[in-house]
Amino acid sequence: MSAAAGQSSATGGMFISRAQATIFLGGALLFMLLFFVGPMLMVIWSSLQPPSGGTFANYERVYNDGYYWRVLLNTLRISMWVTITTFILGYTLSYYMNFHLKSPMARRAIYIIVVLPLFTSNIVRSFGWIVLLGRDGLINDGMRIVGLTDGPVQLLYTSGSIIVALSYVMLPFMVLTVNSIFQNINPSVIEASRDLGAGPIVTFLKVTFPLSLPGVVAGSLIVFTLSVSAYVTPSIMSGGRVAVMPILIYDYYMVQLDFSMGATLAVLLLATTIAIIGVYLFILRRYSNR
Amino acid sequence: MVNTGRSLDGTSERPASIIEIDSITKKYGQYDALHEMSLSIQKGEFLSLLGPSGCGKTTLLRIIAGFLGPTSGDLRIDGRSMRNVPPNKRPVNTVFQNYALFPHMTVVENIAFGPRRQGRAQDAIAADVKRVLGMVGMHGFEDRYPRALSGGQQQRVALARAIVNQPRVLLLDEPLGALDLKLRKRMQFELKRLHGELGITFIYVTHDQEEALAMSDRIAVMRQGRIVQLGTGEEIYHRPNSAYVADFIGEANLIACEREADGKFRLPGNSTPLPLAGPDAPAAKLMIRPEDISFGTAEAGQIGTTATIVQSVFLGHWWRLSAMLADGQEIVICPRDNTADTPAIGAQVPLRWSQQAARMLGE
Repeated sequence: MSAAAGQSSATGGMFISRAQATIFLGGALLFMLLFFVGPMLMVIWSSLQPPSGGTFANYERVYNDGYYWRVLLNTLRISMWVTITTFILGYTLSYYMNFHLKSPMARRAIYIIVVLPLFTSNIVRSFGWIVLLGRDGLINDGMRIVGLTDGPVQLLYTSGSIIVALSYVMLPFMVLTVNSIFQNINPSVIEASRDLGAGPIVTFLKVTFPLSLPGVVAGSLIVFTLSVSAYVTPSIMSGGRVAVMPILIYDYYMVQLDFSMGATLAVLLLATTIAIIGVYLFILRRYSNR
Repeated sequence: MVNTGRSLDGTSERPASIIEIDSITKKYGQYDALHEMSLSIQKGEFLSLLGPSGCGKTTLLRIIAGFLGPTSGDLRIDGRSMRNVPPNKRPVNTVFQNYALFPHMTVVENIAFGPRRQGRAQDAIAADVKRVLGMVGMHGFEDRYPRALSGGQQQRVALARAIVNQPRVLLLDEPLGALDLKLRKRMQFELKRLHGELGITFIYVTHDQEEALAMSDRIAVMRQGRIVQLGTGEEIYHRPNSAYVADFIGEANLIACEREADGKFRLPGNSTPLPLAGPDAPAAKLMIRPEDISFGTAEAGQIGTTATIVQSVFLGHWWRLSAMLADGQEIVICPRDNTADTPAIGAQVPLRWSQQAARMLGE
């Protein structure tokens, strides 16, 4: 946050002297060095200091044990589904808000409803889901009354419940990013498409969607990275039955006090996430420069 | 269909009209953006909708394009009602005020967008795109993105993108508004040339009366959702039907005159009644264009008065003199002869103009 603020004031359109630029940029840079790059290097270094064995003993252990890979894969799978879910819900909601909702009051109301979850604590929100999804929760009761099920269905403490709760938390980020892009689309460009003979569907596919792509990319990256590193929501929603990487990392650091192994898993998660984002952006660039 | 009956009525323009606006009203809440407007636009003509902002000209254009639906009334293009026909199914194309080029497409992709929707063969599309690029003088810019083009170039691409579809009617929404004066003049000329070459009906929205005069076959002067006068540029300039039109088109002196006890209008300070029939109202305005006034005593068939010169400015192609009438009203004089000596400031001079050049107008 501080880095972004520093940069934007440096490029804010006003002319500033070299000295001022140094101060603005320097502050942000120093902050990043102290609190991001520094700890990052310490984590990498720590991962190379196993209590026993050679320098890469931890990495060998992770590589040879299928468990870590399964947790990593599960983490990525959950994050992917959260990204897809928030994209579908957030994109359609933003689309509706920007192109169909005429009344500014209604638009504002939806905006507030979407952002409202951000004002409550993560923990409170997750416990809310427990009330809803539990064995005697609203949904199970409802299904029993309607006659859909005989006994309670396991909704809580599954990957599914993590996906649902995380999507709920992440939705605002998707809506806010996509919305800001939609607002920047010149409405007469969409009219021009209709004017030139394109129906509503072709207009969406050829004009609206391609123009909104930067918002989709930014939104999905934010949601994916936040989901991969989410700890509170998955740990409450998993009830200890489903493991994701942040839970595992926390466990090594705080329970088993094996800092080195925790660091190894953190590095692994970071590297995989960066690799996935890299591939994602590479494919996108190939596609859009076609 | 009672087409046969209609042509026997003797309304000879009927078959040639391409757009029929039939008593269209567009309401926004209590406010009438268009009020029971009827207008028939002829095939191949260049019609300008002229008026200040908020007069409803853009609303009318958007109704023709299909982006807005009328509150009541009907619109027919080629005799077919456009009710419930979406914009993409109408035989019209629009050149938007801010060009509205697709920012994610190159010049060629922008222009080919329309033809591709018709599902035409690739090479036929390519040939058409090439042809219209030539017409607007944009060869060599095929693979540029809109952001890499100047305003004037974007304007040409927007034009090419619209005409490549060979619409029955081309709608232009203040297309030259964002260009500088010099470029605007050149584009006016080119639009006029394109209109001649293509034979398409042009409906041109503008608030610039000079632009409307320079290009249009007919001008519809609009005010508060109504057409106040419809005619050729010459008709509207020389024979405005209201003070509003006279004031809007070109420069006009509008001298307030009161109907006196004998029922005749007189100019302020004059004893001779005006030889013009005025509107049926206690007050009216005498309209006279500054260039129709000359110095000298009125002769037969002329109207004369005296005024005191207040200011004189040499503008190159003519002098512009400002004078004061007996009751303090200002009158502007631009004598046609710019080499003649002009009266000094403070001089009281006789003015005269032909009866035919003057008109008595209501508001």
